[in-house]
Order: sequence, then C-alpha cells, then structure tokens
Amino acid sequence: MNLYEGMFLLDNQVVRADWKSAKNLVADLVKKNGGEVSTIRRWDERRLAYAIRGRRRGTYYLTYFKAAPEAITAIRHDFELEERVLRYLVLRVETLPETEVELAKAELVEGYTVPPPPSDDEPLPVEEPVAVVEEAPAEIVEEVPSEAGTEA
Amino acid sequence: MAEYSKSSRTPPPPIATRNCDDPRIDYKETVYLHKFLTPQAQILSRKRSGFCTQCQRQLKEAIKRARHMALMPFVN
Repeated sequence: MNLYEGMFLLDNQVVRADWKSAKNLVADLVKKNGGEVSTIRRWDERRLAYAIRGRRRGTYYLTYFKAAPEAITAIRHDFELEERVLRYLVLRVETLPETEVELAKAELVEGYTVPPPPSDDEPLPVEEPVAVVEEAPAEIVEEVPSEAGTEA
Repeated sequence: MAEYSKSSRTPPPPIATRNCDDPRIDYKETVYLHKFLTPQAQILSRKRSGFCTQCQRQLKEAIKRARHMALMPFVN
C-alpha cells in the first residue's frame, strides 16, 4: 500500500446541490477500488485558468489515500469515465502533510458550511457582444444612403 | 565591440535563488509559481529563474501539473 495524493476538479453544478455529497462521490470511487481514504477535504472553489467543457469555475477536492499500486490504474479509469469530475491528478507522496488532517477534520464539524459556488460556470454568452457590434454599423449604413439622397 | 552590459539587451537578473529544500515548488502554490512565468505564461528559462538543474525540473513539473488542473494558464 502506497500513499497517494489526489486532486479532483468537480463540476460546480454537482457541488451546488450538496458539497458533502460531492465529497463522497470522490471518496466512494477511491474506496470502490480498494483504496483507503486518509483525508479528504474541499480545497478551493476558484475560477479556472481556461474553460473546460464550457465551465469557467470549478471546485477542487484534495484527498490523501492509501492504495495498492495495481489499484491506481482502476481508480484512474473510473475517474476518466466520471463526467462530473472535470480533471483529476493522482500523485504518489511519501508522507501525509500534518496540517492536512486538521483541515479535513475541521470540515467534519457540525455546522461547518461553505458558501455556494457563484453562478459563473455557465458557458459564456458569446453571441451577445457580437450582436451589439453588428447593430451599430447597420444603423450607420442605413443613415448614409438617406443623407446622400437628401443632398443629391 | 559593443559594450553588452550598457545596452538595453542586458538580461534581467535571476528572479530567485533557492535552497533545494524549499517546499513551495508544488503545483498547489500557484501564487508562487506565477513568478516564474513570462507575461505569455511561458516557463522562465533556468538563466532567468536562477534555479539549479534539479529545482528547475521540479518547477517545470509543478507548473505543468498546475496547468493540467486549470490552476495556471497554458497561454495568456
């Protein structure tokens, strides 16, 4: 059994429904393949550096788990198929960071809440700015012949 | 011969020198890693980052991992 660090980027639509069940979604997939979850916590909710499947924002979950090296292939495969997980990264680590246990425990305390993700992860309305730009020259084009007609 | 040091082509000084035990070279430390990107989000060369071979390799790995997780951009 080796210790692994896994970072998972989840779709905000799943997190908005219930951020704890989103946590279980990750933990269950690890456990299903014989992994043993040491810690799991919500790492951050932030704007993505680039859009993934039309999503502009996402929530990151950071987990440390023990698993046999052979199980990692199966775990990767499962996350590959899971559509609610936009990106994942599994790395082997030597030791569990000390602060990680406390941070994960803090989330389990009754009454611990996180703000709901901002509604910014919808695909950007690309059409709107284009439409505004098109309207402006169209008006000018209409005016120019009319002026030319009055002058003549 | 033109005096290289007086010209505007003088290379900028290295950003950092670092002891090799610094734990900040990690894909999660995006604020720190951003120091080692050009405005176009290319990774700085070893000459400009001031890192040793091993540190530069760790930096490269960390930035590429952060890019995969959409924590850092591929291009700006």
